[in-house]
Amino acid sequence: MSHAANHNDALGWNPDDPHGTNTHAHGHVVVSWKIQLGVLLVLLFFTALTVAFYNLEQWAENAFSIHLPLWVNIVGAMLIASIKATLVCMYFMQLRYDKPLNTFALLFCLFAVGLFLFFSMLDLSTRGAVNKFKYGEIQSGGTGVSLDAPPRDERFDARLSPRVQTGGDNLINTVRQNAIAAYLAEHPDKTEKDWWAKMYAKQKHPHHHWADTENYFAQLGYDHSEPALSTSQKRVVRTGRTDALELAPGHAAHNDHGAASHNADH
Amino acid sequence: MQTTLDAYDTPAPDHIRSHPKHWRNRKAGHHWRTHDEEFDGSKLGMWLFLTTEVLLFAGIFCGYAVFRLLYPEAWANGSHYLDWRFGAANTVVLLISSWTVANAVRCAQLNNQKWLKINLIITLICAALFVFIKLKFEYIPKLADGKAPGTFFNYPMAQDPHEPLWWSLYYVGTGIHALHVLIGATLLGWVLYRSWRYQAYGPTEYTMVENSALYWHLVDLVWIFLFPLLYLIH
Repeated sequence: MSHAANHNDALGWNPDDPHGTNTHAHGHVVVSWKIQLGVLLVLLFFTALTVAFYNLEQWAENAFSIHLPLWVNIVGAMLIASIKATLVCMYFMQLRYDKPLNTFALLFCLFAVGLFLFFSMLDLSTRGAVNKFKYGEIQSGGTGVSLDAPPRDERFDARLSPRVQTGGDNLINTVRQNAIAAYLAEHPDKTEKDWWAKMYAKQKHPHHHWADTENYFAQLGYDHSEPALSTSQKRVVRTGRTDALELAPGHAAHNDHGAASHNADH
Repeated sequence: MQTTLDAYDTPAPDHIRSHPKHWRNRKAGHHWRTHDEEFDGSKLGMWLFLTTEVLLFAGIFCGYAVFRLLYPEAWANGSHYLDWRFGAANTVVLLISSWTVANAVRCAQLNNQKWLKINLIITLICAALFVFIKLKFEYIPKLADGKAPGTFFNYPMAQDPHEPLWWSLYYVGTGIHALHVLIGATLLGWVLYRSWRYQAYGPTEYTMVENSALYWHLVDLVWIFLFPLLYLIH
């Protein structure tokens, strides 16, 4: 380097070294290994915390039937995840020591994600709302247009896929009936009860199955653990769905029957 | 605070020192005034790319939120089918790998060639471990049970007709994430190869290490959210 190296202009450009091979007078920040290790330990601690929180909640529910509201579970887990994500961004990704423009790019992106989620949730939560300007169309007793038999459009009547042959039944029931039929064909000496016994024994969380109409669950002596259905103590809120409009009356009654018989058992 | 000016002055072996790919022999592109500007520009570009990655996963998270609100029973059952121990194990694996890759950047900044390579190797082992746990304890047993996405669904003990939708979201979310693990491991493998062969990265030339590390941290970030959403919230 010549004498001109000391005469960099305001932009830090050195005419003697136009490609900047030697201009590293200030250097980049190197994050201390102590900070990195500390951040790792904090992250592992928060992972243990969120798992402990989850298990504590499950235990309270199973052992004492204490049903915390769903939002406690969600807010707790997401809060811890956000703290962990902030730590990773600040220290591992070095945003704290970086040019603020990179942080700005990330925050602007998160703002866009927020808008995305906000409008999706807004849509979902207002599907049941009726706009004022449509009040006039609602009549006592309905308009006479049947929702059970919507107008048929041949274009949408094509076969879905060779795998989906449910004969009008729901996919779950078809799969189960196929499995039972296959089991009985393979073991001619066994009955449907044996199939249920096999499947209950295999399940990690045996529930009383709504389709177990013979109540083999009780007959086989399997203990009960809490299913994720609405009960008088625990309410599972559905949003954005109006079952009565989507399901045919017979279908809806079938589901209700399953849930009702389950509740009656306990 | 320590800076790249405090780097070790360990000389490279003779056959590497004169190689044009050795970090001391690298020059900034001719359209950049300084190395620093090239580094900053490259890093900003990487961050902009990472924002698009965040938006990609935001689509999956939004789908999760919408279907969760629509079919809470199916989502509650779905999370009960998953074993939090494997999710937590994979979280620990990814957090440790994020830490080692952050250390790899630090070693490149300080010209600590030996520990740069060791840190990268540990990171790659963690990546392999993550994929192994995912396949061996999660994907393969679940698919054998018939807990498959959409029309491939074949699990006879399902409780809710929307469980195939849960599995679709589970496999798409974790599958795209696993794809990112593989891409990130490939990038870091490339960094490892070049530092092994040429000592290509050092205090004035570590853009590739830094940007690959940023990508790897993003993989970690996504899992930090996927883990509670899929395994812990019921």
